[in-house]
Amino acid sequence: MLSPAAYGMLGVLPTHGVGSRSDLPLPFGVLVVSALAALLISFLAIGVLWREPRLRSSQGVMLPRQLASMLDSRWLRRVAQTLSVALTLWTLVALLAGPDSARNPVPHIVYVWLWVGLAFASMLLGPVWRVINPVRLLHTGLLRLARVSPDLAVFRYRAGWWPAALGLGLFTWVELVATENTSLSFLRLLILGYLLISILGAGLFGRAWFDRADPFEAWSTLLGALAPLGRRDDGRWVLRTPLHGINELHGERGLVATVAVMLGSTAYDGFSANLSWATFVQTSALPASVLKTATMLGFFAAVAVTLWLASAASMALSGKGIRDSFHFVSDFAPSLIPIAGGYVVAHYWSLFVYQAPVGLALLSDPLGTGADLLGTAGVTPDDTLVQATLVATIQAVSIVVGHLLAVLAAHERAVSVLDRRSAIVGQIPLMVIMLAYTFAGLTILFTP
Amino acid sequence: MPLNRVLPYAVCLVALSGIAACGSADEPTPGRHATATVVKSLVVTVTGTTVTPAPAQVDLRIGEALDLTVTIDHDDELHAHGFGDIEEQLKAGVPTTVRLVGAESGVFEVETHEPALTLLTVAVR
Repeated sequence: MLSPAAYGMLGVLPTHGVGSRSDLPLPFGVLVVSALAALLISFLAIGVLWREPRLRSSQGVMLPRQLASMLDSRWLRRVAQTLSVALTLWTLVALLAGPDSARNPVPHIVYVWLWVGLAFASMLLGPVWRVINPVRLLHTGLLRLARVSPDLAVFRYRAGWWPAALGLGLFTWVELVATENTSLSFLRLLILGYLLISILGAGLFGRAWFDRADPFEAWSTLLGALAPLGRRDDGRWVLRTPLHGINELHGERGLVATVAVMLGSTAYDGFSANLSWATFVQTSALPASVLKTATMLGFFAAVAVTLWLASAASMALSGKGIRDSFHFVSDFAPSLIPIAGGYVVAHYWSLFVYQAPVGLALLSDPLGTGADLLGTAGVTPDDTLVQATLVATIQAVSIVVGHLLAVLAAHERAVSVLDRRSAIVGQIPLMVIMLAYTFAGLTILFTP
Repeated sequence: MPLNRVLPYAVCLVALSGIAACGSADEPTPGRHATATVVKSLVVTVTGTTVTPAPAQVDLRIGEALDLTVTIDHDDELHAHGFGDIEEQLKAGVPTTVRLVGAESGVFEVETHEPALTLLTVAVR
């Protein structure tokens, strides 16, 4: 069994910021069955599914009263917020005073616990970052100390999701393209920059900045729409399908860009591990970072453009003008979130299982002095959760289920937005690109 | 329950069982290996930023070994993660051999430092 430090050894070309191991390619049989399942789902959806909108925000299985009141309780929120602030301060100590080596826990906290852990937690429990975001807590705390209203803002916030799209794009660039993205000076610059921008944004626009513009809140809110745990329209806690949360999201400025970044970044992550691509990049005359940045932007653009083309085709088939397609595409962007969520689970499952315990072990020694302050220095990853067949199954299932949910969500939106005659025909272009994304996702997992 | 509500879940179930069946069928049988450890060998030459043969994926079973001989045109360092974290100094023009023994499953990169190049990947099953 390799030591935790070995698992955390930062290679010259780390794949996701940390970690030096990738998953085995999907077996061919799994690829074929998954692709056929996705096709079958799409055809059935067109032929068989419901003709009237069915999802209502009053639906769901109510949680038992004790559990619901516990979830609503103040003490639970205070405990979670305290833990979040404590972890943030601990990480800041490691950032400012820790060693600039593989023993510093900060890269694991940022690239594994925050980026992947937050995604997984949100997909299970809902938009948790809204409750425990330390920057939001700082803002609220400062305003409270100054005895000022928590809604204080200089300007009204009008930019929709655009800043979040930009922020997510920048973070994924840092995670996937930037060299030396685990060096301490780089991380200090990154985190300081992020804090300054957030404080400036929150100062100017108030709480609304965190609701829409903060990239990690957007990551948590949009993926959190997939959670089975949610609130009904009367505020009661319920268990419900992922479709209900997605159905409550509506078109807004910058939503297409944000979803395009979410989907494109995970797809590029998988694609960049491809050997022919890596060979092309390393033998090319152009600098690697230029090629990689251009490709990543290409992936973002490809998602946004194909989504808009599908919407334009839908509008044409429904007899409406192309001008309406911009609003239409924004209304349909939420239905891609399940595909993005499926991609996230498929790509990051084994990274999370391997590297999160390593992060916990490294966290026990934030200053690199050999201490074991949390008692977790001996924690090692559990091999059973990354056994090859299990990983391949999780990958295939998450992509196929993501596709299924996306098709159902798009269907529900179509029957709500389009008139009955166009609802079926109008969905077909969207279903085609969803199939394309799913096949692309499977292929990326399949080819070495 | 009306048919059109059950159908998507039924399709999902069929898909899942199909995948699970295919997935387990593809799993390599944990058979008996020959008494001698199987050893593959590969010779790689690096000139500038060109790797010959072009980077490819080599398959290994857990317990099998790969003897990798690298000749490079400048002083560098060879990193191979996942095989006990091999770090080998490379001298210009001197063929250096390392033995990579498959220990945990996954795909691992073998790379050099300056410039950062991937030489090959090893898929351990």
